[in-house]
Amino acid sequence: MRIRAERDDLADVLARAGRAVGTRSPLPILQGILVEVVGSKLTVTGTDNEVTVQTYLDVEAMEEGRTVIPAKLAAEAVRKLPAGAVSMTAADGEVEITGNGPRFRLREMNVDDFPSVTDGFPAETVDVDGLELTKAIGQVGVAASSDEARPTLTGVLFEATDEGLRLVATDSYRLAVRDVPGVSTSGTRLVPYRALRELARTVGDGKMTVGLGEREAVFATGRGRLSARIIDAAFPNYRQLLPESYPNRVVVNKEELLEAVGRAALVAEDHIPVRLNLHDGGIGLSVIRQEVGEETEHIAADYQGEEMTIAFNTRYLTDGVSAVADEEVTIETSDPLKPGLLKGANTDEFRYLLMPVRL
Amino acid sequence: MRRVPATVVLVSGFTEHILHVDMDAFFVEVERLDDPSLRGVPVVVGGLGRRGVVASASYEARARGVRSAMPIGEARRLCPTARFVAPSHRRYREVSGQVFEILRSFSPAVEGISIDEAFLDVAGLRLLWPDAVTVGAEIRAAVRSRIGIPASVGCATTKFIAKLASARAKPDGLLVVEAGTELRFLHPLPVTDLWGVGAATQAALASLGIRTIGDVANTPVETLVRTLGSAVGTHLHDLANGRDPREVGAGPGTRSVSVEETFTDDIVARDDLERELVRLCDRLEGRLRRAGMRGRTVTLKVRFSNFATVTRSATVDGDVGYRSELWSVVRGLLDRARVGGRAVRLLGVGVSGLGADTGARRLRLGGERADAAARAAASVKERFGEDAIVPARLVEPPPDTEGRRLR
Repeated sequence: MRIRAERDDLADVLARAGRAVGTRSPLPILQGILVEVVGSKLTVTGTDNEVTVQTYLDVEAMEEGRTVIPAKLAAEAVRKLPAGAVSMTAADGEVEITGNGPRFRLREMNVDDFPSVTDGFPAETVDVDGLELTKAIGQVGVAASSDEARPTLTGVLFEATDEGLRLVATDSYRLAVRDVPGVSTSGTRLVPYRALRELARTVGDGKMTVGLGEREAVFATGRGRLSARIIDAAFPNYRQLLPESYPNRVVVNKEELLEAVGRAALVAEDHIPVRLNLHDGGIGLSVIRQEVGEETEHIAADYQGEEMTIAFNTRYLTDGVSAVADEEVTIETSDPLKPGLLKGANTDEFRYLLMPVRL
Repeated sequence: MRRVPATVVLVSGFTEHILHVDMDAFFVEVERLDDPSLRGVPVVVGGLGRRGVVASASYEARARGVRSAMPIGEARRLCPTARFVAPSHRRYREVSGQVFEILRSFSPAVEGISIDEAFLDVAGLRLLWPDAVTVGAEIRAAVRSRIGIPASVGCATTKFIAKLASARAKPDGLLVVEAGTELRFLHPLPVTDLWGVGAATQAALASLGIRTIGDVANTPVETLVRTLGSAVGTHLHDLANGRDPREVGAGPGTRSVSVEETFTDDIVARDDLERELVRLCDRLEGRLRRAGMRGRTVTLKVRFSNFATVTRSATVDGDVGYRSELWSVVRGLLDRARVGGRAVRLLGVGVSGLGADTGARRLRLGGERADAAARAAASVKERFGEDAIVPARLVEPPPDTEGRRLR
């Protein structure tokens, strides 16, 4: 294999594919990335056996071939070469990377050990606005769990509804639902958020093809292809958690609320909740930490309902408010021990259900 | 070793830089703070129901033989004139917070052991105070004047000896074990005063004719290791010789609470493993509740019949303390431990990353009823004792239904 490409282009495809490579994989080969040249097309593949990212680049190819090199090292080596053309040559068990003087010679990894990666698609695919999809995934992703002991909660549910696609995630403390109207996928699949989180940075682009297969979800654009193993588990019945209606409702400026919760969080850290006193004139926020001190403030807002006090974990509240894509946030509540609902003041497309903290 | 009246200032420096501060009959003294009519009379704090136990007894009641963890009925029989008071743990946590605030105002190196005791390392205070003993006396005075309850302080070169010293300073005293006199202080004490010596170890030591800490110190370490295993044997030998390198850990992360059980007969069936783990989680809930703590990291320990031991731990988002919360983590750890069909001789469950229980609970979606149930169970146990409520799967079927299956 022998190619020549611009440093920045090559560094980019290596680094993006490298994002799928786990930092502590039990299999040494998975620390590597597969570099393949066919015709003038370079394909770079990184995988941790759950998530696979492939990136593409048109290069000046002198010789076709394939090799596996250490992912992090190769990407960094190319990035740190002087600007300009870089050449990469695999021969005799070594890969030489040179450009304008410096010369790396990296030991090749055994290409036969690299897992076989398919680049096919599930039978049914749908074309979507990739930027809108990645934004929607980001909105619900904050609610996904990172606790690998409960795999079901580490996924984002892709559910086909009458109106289109619905994304749902929950870590059992909060639940985020985002409707993406007009996108018709077939079936319902649970896709690991760990993979989806990488979507924007690895292959994200305006035009995206999505395929939700029995075993694999595939997201492909002109920049590359990301596939993730489907989580084979039943997602909690989230619909029964969404209350029909709420008696109390406050509409508040998103930035003002975020700043106020941010100040409260300074005192609260992660384990003390912030209290929201909802009353006619707005929201009274307070946090009291016995050994540290307290913070209180008031936000003027339009509140309809009975006066009540409800407490939330500051991080969960911040996550939810930040995810609302609107200048005004609506908070709906019914009872200090029942979940509150956050959403934009003008749309129901995104909903964030948050359990309170019992004081 | 000397007993120091609070008014006497001594110049011994900071060699004995570790303080163990232990509140005297803490629950009783807090109740007296709130109800002065309890002063000067015997007081017992504990669950008042038929199966309640003594949580804390005043020294007047202790003089009549009342002890912690004793059934409340027995306490009534021993000391019928005592005033019996149901515990109010929220209030104890509040006062405990005030005590720790005072301790932290002296030294940043404060390691809380439970709701009413802590270690302090005061070596860093040599520019502020003449000696460690003075710091100890000032802490006692501050707790007395600002809160109004007594504290005892032990002052020594190591944590282990400081803790023994505070126990002997009680009630309302301060005891210094000066550097160089540690062994003279330690050796006459019974082996049960060594950390980690329970009934089983005590029996094993007695079989070797070992009764005092001095006996342990004078026994070759090889003999102890042969009888007790290498970790325990070496550890006890070190402690008995005054060697205890453990430092005072500041803040959370360094503390843990755990319970374990060695079984007379090895356990094999998965169902039995689970039942014993639920039982341990239930005990651990009680320990955490009485300490006023909740934790973030749960550890499972499994020792097989061949003494091979595996531990698995997981850190949760938020914190845990209730049995149901502990069990939901432990169940996952049990899967990860891959016990298979191997025979198990010991199970243990522990929690670390502890923090004071603020009373706040992060609720789960759809989990309101589970939370209400756990909370109700906890308050019943506070009033009526740990056995007042047990998980359904731990209930033995009554003998007359044995063998019959309910449909």
